[in-house]
Amino acid sequence: MSSPRTISFEIFRYDPQDPNDKPKMVTYEITEAPGMTVFIALNLLREQQDPSLQFDFVCRAGICGSCAMVINGKPTLACRTLTANFPDGKIKLMPLPGFELIGDLSVNTGKFMRELAERLQLWLQPDANDIDIHRLETPMDPAEAAKLYELERCVECGVCVSACATKQMKDTFVGAVGMMKIARFEMDSRDTRSAEDFYHVIGNQDGVFGCMTLLGCQDACPKDLPHMQQIAYLRRKMAQTIVSC
Amino acid sequence: MTASSQTQTQKIHDVSSKGYLNPIWAARADKLQSATGLLLGFFIIMHLHFESSILISKEAFYHVGHFLEGGIFSETGHGFPVLTKFISAFMLLVVVVHAAFALRRFPAQIQQWRALRSQMTIMPHQDTKIWFWQLITGFLLFFLAPVHLYDMITNPAIGPHLSAERVYHQDVWMLYVLLLPAVVIHAMFGLYRVAVKWGITTKRMAALKLAKVMVVYLMIIGIASLMTYIVIGQSLELPVTPFVPS
Repeated sequence: MSSPRTISFEIFRYDPQDPNDKPKMVTYEITEAPGMTVFIALNLLREQQDPSLQFDFVCRAGICGSCAMVINGKPTLACRTLTANFPDGKIKLMPLPGFELIGDLSVNTGKFMRELAERLQLWLQPDANDIDIHRLETPMDPAEAAKLYELERCVECGVCVSACATKQMKDTFVGAVGMMKIARFEMDSRDTRSAEDFYHVIGNQDGVFGCMTLLGCQDACPKDLPHMQQIAYLRRKMAQTIVSC
Repeated sequence: MTASSQTQTQKIHDVSSKGYLNPIWAARADKLQSATGLLLGFFIIMHLHFESSILISKEAFYHVGHFLEGGIFSETGHGFPVLTKFISAFMLLVVVVHAAFALRRFPAQIQQWRALRSQMTIMPHQDTKIWFWQLITGFLLFFLAPVHLYDMITNPAIGPHLSAERVYHQDVWMLYVLLLPAVVIHAMFGLYRVAVKWGITTKRMAALKLAKVMVVYLMIIGIASLMTYIVIGQSLELPVTPFVPS
């Protein structure tokens, strides 16, 4: 068996809270282990070499969406990226662009997602006058449920936002995550909002008509969500909507 | 609609109307940009094939030209060259509409340009790079396409010798050398983008491959026919007499 190789990590370091700190790239070396992910390597680096290294994680299984970062030019999840994928053993890590930087590789995606949810009203809005807690809920058509679950797989990691050049050029653009969630509620038969209601939220240059179909979202999404089809569906739906001004 | 959802919708209306007095124009702009793009894209494919009939023979190009000028409707069989003027003027109008709506996509501020370039450096991505080249070629076409169309409106003479005279003796080849790659790249990748944008196809990789093949193919027939016109132009003596099939 060949001896384990040494891999190097070039990591963006910057603490915006420290007025004397300046952005820089710092290189670390580590011995690779079988099945090692970038996430495991970062934890080892923090434990063994530099306890000040900042990065986010919760689940380590691609479910929480916390450990998203730019790995060798591709925004993705650190916990789902094997170090073995990089034959030259050189890995460059940058924080996701387009979000508030907390420090080093940690960005505030939570703040962004909350503001987006409030702006686009990303929650189920059933008929407020038709609530009877004693009545059994009407079963949902399995085909509809399957469609909704497909879109519910979004973990709000922020990768689609960072991978989108449109979003980077235009800060007010809602990005694929916003449109994916709007499409999810638009498909939900329990939601009482009409196509016109949705049009007034995303039928503009910051929404579905501002998307330039660069498809960074589709190519980078770690959950392989069907961004291209969903945005096209929403665009066709909104283009057919007759809006009263 | 319930009272609460009406209030909610009203709120949405208020927020939306801050930036957009007439929100329906957002949809119209996107539809018009795509529709004019489709028309221009397919027009270019046809146009390049018609003018490349010179690769077959002078006679072939002569007959294609006369057919497109409505030769079957005229007593002499020579058609109505004025049709070229009308079609060129109409296409200029379509180009203006397309450009007006496509302008929304241009990075108008230096910060936006920097953001785009930085994005392409930090996270290289094929479709973003393709769009960047559409942006560059689109910008060039603002200047190149109207020059060609104005030339065809003011000087609509088309024929194996008359076109060769334009290309070689009037130095229009310099325009075509720039116009050909710009329009082919812009149009073929534009058609691909319209197809994936509106969900006309879900087979994205196949559509992208087709667009690339079309770019290479149209460039080959375009360059070959341009060289043929230059060769014909070199062999002509001034003043040029129009070609008549024997």
